Amino acid sequence: MNPALTQRFPGIRLGLIGGASLVLLSLIGMVEAFNQREIISDVISMGQTLLLFTAMFIGYLAAKRGRERGQGQVFGSGITAGLIMAGMLALLVLLGHAINMRQVFINASPVLFQILIFQQEELWAGIGLLLLAGVLTGLSAGLLRILPDRIRRVLIIGICSVAIVGLLQDLIAPIFSVWDPLADIIELLFPGNGLSVSGAVGLFIVVAALSAFWSFKGQAVQTRIQALPPKSRRGLNLAAVLVGVFVLLAAPQVLGLFLSEVMTIVGLYVLLGLGLNIVVGFAGLLDLGYVAFFAIGSYTVAILTSPELGFFDWNFWQALPLAVLFGVLAGVILGVPVLKMRGDYLAIATLGFGEIIRIMVLSDFLRPWLGGAQGIGKIPKAEIAGFEFATPQEIYYLILAGCVLVGFISWRLRDSRLGRAWMAVREDEDVAQAMGINLVATKLLAFATGAGFSALSGAIFATKLGSVYPHSFNVMISINILCVIIVGGMGSMPGVAVGALALVGLPELLREFADYRLLVYGAALMAMMLLRPEGLWPEATRQRELHEEESAEPRS
Amino acid sequence: MAVITITNLTKQFGGLVAVENLDIEVKEQSIHSVIGPNGAGKTTLFNCITGFYRPEIGDIRLEDHSLVGLMPDQIVRHGIARTYQNIRLFPDLTAMENILVGMHSHLRAGYFGIVLGLPATRREEKKANEEALRLLKFVNLAGKGDLLAKNLPYGNQRRLEIARALATRPKVLCLDEPAAGMNPKESQDLMDFIRHLRDALGITILLIEHQMRVVMGISEKVTVLDYGKKIAEGTPAEVQCNPQVIEAYLGRGSATQPCAA
Repeated sequence: MNPALTQRFPGIRLGLIGGASLVLLSLIGMVEAFNQREIISDVISMGQTLLLFTAMFIGYLAAKRGRERGQGQVFGSGITAGLIMAGMLALLVLLGHAINMRQVFINASPVLFQILIFQQEELWAGIGLLLLAGVLTGLSAGLLRILPDRIRRVLIIGICSVAIVGLLQDLIAPIFSVWDPLADIIELLFPGNGLSVSGAVGLFIVVAALSAFWSFKGQAVQTRIQALPPKSRRGLNLAAVLVGVFVLLAAPQVLGLFLSEVMTIVGLYVLLGLGLNIVVGFAGLLDLGYVAFFAIGSYTVAILTSPELGFFDWNFWQALPLAVLFGVLAGVILGVPVLKMRGDYLAIATLGFGEIIRIMVLSDFLRPWLGGAQGIGKIPKAEIAGFEFATPQEIYYLILAGCVLVGFISWRLRDSRLGRAWMAVREDEDVAQAMGINLVATKLLAFATGAGFSALSGAIFATKLGSVYPHSFNVMISINILCVIIVGGMGSMPGVAVGALALVGLPELLREFADYRLLVYGAALMAMMLLRPEGLWPEATRQRELHEEESAEPRS
Repeated sequence: MAVITITNLTKQFGGLVAVENLDIEVKEQSIHSVIGPNGAGKTTLFNCITGFYRPEIGDIRLEDHSLVGLMPDQIVRHGIARTYQNIRLFPDLTAMENILVGMHSHLRAGYFGIVLGLPATRREEKKANEEALRLLKFVNLAGKGDLLAKNLPYGNQRRLEIARALATRPKVLCLDEPAAGMNPKESQDLMDFIRHLRDALGITILLIEHQMRVVMGISEKVTVLDYGKKIAEGTPAEVQCNPQVIEAYLGRGSATQPCAA
């Protein structure tokens, strides 16, 4: 490709990149798998939305680049990009019709090609429609680009909320159906699979109106809240906290069995994430064997409580402190040999530790004590004064209590002498030591605290499942937790919750997603690193500093 | 009275002798400069004093305690704080947090005191905050406490680093080329500030520089190093006239120049 050409016409380069992405999305089967779910009934499916949003994004980028080179190129670049992307998909369809590609690409099925040409009977009519769609996408991307910032933002928010509501219908419908007047609205919104057309339009108008109102009046509202006397502002905060507490307490009753189950999984990840956040986020010690402590917590509870092994017959509450204690001890034991290691070396050493624990548990040698590959079953449920935490809705409260406790401890530690010492070690170990920080004690405390939280999570996990198996504790868990805190925002506690909801909760809701989970994780991590390195919900100071220049720009 | 006594100090890296048979005595409440061309072993000397390097031979004493073999964090607690030639703040912490980290060894809060929010811990934290604010003001950074260290301008970063070192409540403050990268006016201001610091806090200052002119005005005693050896020591005026010093700095043959003093 002639570099001068792509330089002059940004639409061509971006169009090729976008086209390759769309072909990839189609060939790995995402489009077809996602097509089962309708976003708007009989109008657009999730698979088509995926293609459309990708194409729009690329078209928008092309239009933006085009604009930098002069007004006339906005539409030119957008349409070029759109046409190239559609053209590459059309080539895929034609190729698929000419030869059978399924021996290499098992997902290149006739069904996929029908989706790509909008279910047209006539091949060439479908190809024409596809190219037309490409042109229209490029055109609307160009339009979006030349609109004033405020209107563009309102439009994007509106369209995205329609897509999100359509996507999360399984979540939204049952929640709002609890209250009768709302249930009627839900009935209107979701007549079957996906939003109704009128529902989608209505939703778009409402959301767009709200966001337009906020973009014009939001500043005024904020300044008015800030102008309030401190007493009523505190009252406002208190009210917000109370609403939050109420929502958290009422959640399982409203969410029902399945969604409560999802929430318990998210909650366990929040617990794990808060622990790893201390080790990685605060102290900067990259620990990839974090799942080991989770396993130690689980197995301690299992061994102490399960009648299957017959060693002990304790109840959950007797076993819990010991589980946490063992986790803390394991954290110290792991910490001592790796004290001198930094960065990559530390990551590799801890990775090994995680595997050692898993393989030990799996071994035949320790089978009489740890159950080997068959694991340990019959772990009793936790019980308080006759109330048993058995169903997901009940276990939810157990996990919520754990999260509150762990969150509180993290919060106290963060703003203390110890939290500052951790962050100093993260920033510059040598200087931290030169400022009087004892590296050995500081690092070991970080490992021990994180491990204790992880063991607590493991203990609850054991009683939730009623059994423990070695394969529940593979290295992917460690990686997932790390992803959660990176996506949420390193060192940020609300970020852990947001990250867990996005990376653990969402995939549970989108069943079609399951096969592509790791792919999406990878894409999400890369997107985060490039677009929002501070995470979805970063620490307040970091957010302010990283986006200071951007927010200063429009004002000047 | 000598606050730091260095006797017969030798530090080698493989075959390279970075510091050789060095004897230095630093008087209490003095401003003592160590100067020398690049690679003369000045920073190595600092790293030995602050515990980052362990010298092969010799002894370093702070008052009555030997510092050889102690870890850097123990040496700070004995009362020697330092700054770095290339500024080494904690970039992603705020200016306030940087100073509070410096106070670490004077805070007593324990793990459970922190988690339970015991009154003693809260009181201590409040006092530490007040002291940090006072230090910020002392180095003319009042009002900048909430900015991330990395976003401060260069001169402010230099001063913040000094404030962080002061937060450890040192008896001796070691400044490693504090005037690096400053224009003559700025370095003059800095030298005035260093003198003020000594007078106001009554601490001893050990200063590394390789610009002779900068240190001459404020130093009471100057030690000149070259290739790890002490080649001269005395008041600035004495050192300035020493032919060996002039040779080390300006090369052979320059020593014939008439001495200003």
